[in-house]
Amino acid sequence: MPQEKEKHVTIDFAFRRELDQIIGGDHHNYCYQCGACVAQCPAAQYSESFNPRSILLDALLGRADVLLGPDSPIWLCTNCYSCYERCPQDVRPIEVIIALKNLASNRDAAPSDVATMTENILKTGVSGLITPAVQRIRESLGLKPLGDYPVDEMLKILPDEGKQP
Amino acid sequence: MKVAPFFGCMIPIKYPQMEAAFRRTMPNLGVELVDIDGFTCCPDPIYFKTKGVLDWLTIAARNLCVAEEAGLDLVTLCSGCTATLKEAKFLLAEDEDLKERVNERLMRVGKEYQGTVKVEHAVVVIRDELGIERVTESVVKPLDGIKVAIHYGCHLLKPSQIMHVDDADYPSILENLIAAIGATPVGHDRKLLCCGKGCLDGDMPVEMVFDIFTSIRDSGADCMGLICPTCFSSFDLGQIVVGRKKNTKFDIPVIYYFQLLGLAQGLAPEEVGLNLHKVKADRILAELAGGEAQASA
Repeated sequence: MPQEKEKHVTIDFAFRRELDQIIGGDHHNYCYQCGACVAQCPAAQYSESFNPRSILLDALLGRADVLLGPDSPIWLCTNCYSCYERCPQDVRPIEVIIALKNLASNRDAAPSDVATMTENILKTGVSGLITPAVQRIRESLGLKPLGDYPVDEMLKILPDEGKQP
Repeated sequence: MKVAPFFGCMIPIKYPQMEAAFRRTMPNLGVELVDIDGFTCCPDPIYFKTKGVLDWLTIAARNLCVAEEAGLDLVTLCSGCTATLKEAKFLLAEDEDLKERVNERLMRVGKEYQGTVKVEHAVVVIRDELGIERVTESVVKPLDGIKVAIHYGCHLLKPSQIMHVDDADYPSILENLIAAIGATPVGHDRKLLCCGKGCLDGDMPVEMVFDIFTSIRDSGADCMGLICPTCFSSFDLGQIVVGRKKNTKFDIPVIYYFQLLGLAQGLAPEEVGLNLHKVKADRILAELAGGEAQASA
């Protein structure tokens, strides 16, 4: 019966186990699809492509192709934490989305801004560029110049000295 | 009271006027700021956390260790830093195994995370440790007649389970702080909407900023008041960019709370760096100067 065949659902448990390994990713297992996360989600209000409940459903089904693919909706999340606030199941949907972003980053499937910003921080210890102009503005405000940051110590606590954060 | 400020990156590098305003206003509330060396980026809760949560957590824990070694609680000024450091504390308290994993890494540089220092945003320290009346007592030039549209930003309030700042749906902390300096807090429809900066997609934040500023324009406020440098970047230069795309001009100055406090404490606009903003606060400053001239006449 072709119709019944279409109802057939396959769950990729290997992908879900991979998601479980990332901090916060394991909470996807608690989702019972109530949709409380959707009502106050600004990304869902502003984009038809984004729905945290659907993302969680895709996570429960282990659909890596949808979640980590080039058109993945996860990058539309505004990181506002409304879903975390609302979720009655402690799924912390945004943290699951961030865990999915980690998996995408591991597969080089994240927007290039992510790598650029991360590299800046690993190189200098800060997220912004300290230029002579910055120091001049600080001086005009009576503030001390910005100095060095303990980059070496920061890199030592990362797994392989920051090469693969 | 003594606290160690955690300025992060964005404030000292991109918006040092916020640092200047903070350093000049807090002593007037009886707070001694003790600078500690050895911090890095908190690290940022959007990009760095996207790349790797465990690395993000480890670097955050290292920053907390620096404060622990100095024996001082941290006061944060940036909502991003507040989010990172408070969530790191929460995760490390919640999961003993995770704390062990992080401490194994910190051991390489002779550090161990204990969880002994508090982290609070400056506005929370003022409300809970000093009392808002301290702010009123420090005012010499109340901002009478200035209507301030408040923008909370997401990370000061949410998740409330971690932040413990205020009711995330009906907050009042910023309204009370604005009223304490003589200004009038003005409500508007989009007061709690996200600024959109954390979204890694280009189009959506434009619509969000447009709606927020339309809502503020309708409210009749003289300026926007906020406490987050990331939101500030969405709104100061941001409203100009969005205005161009949408064929409108908002011209609503965006002012960090400690700059408003500085003005009320009698500091000159340049001392709190208002001259560095893209959208100038000239109308408000003229109104304040006018009020003063009237009072002395």
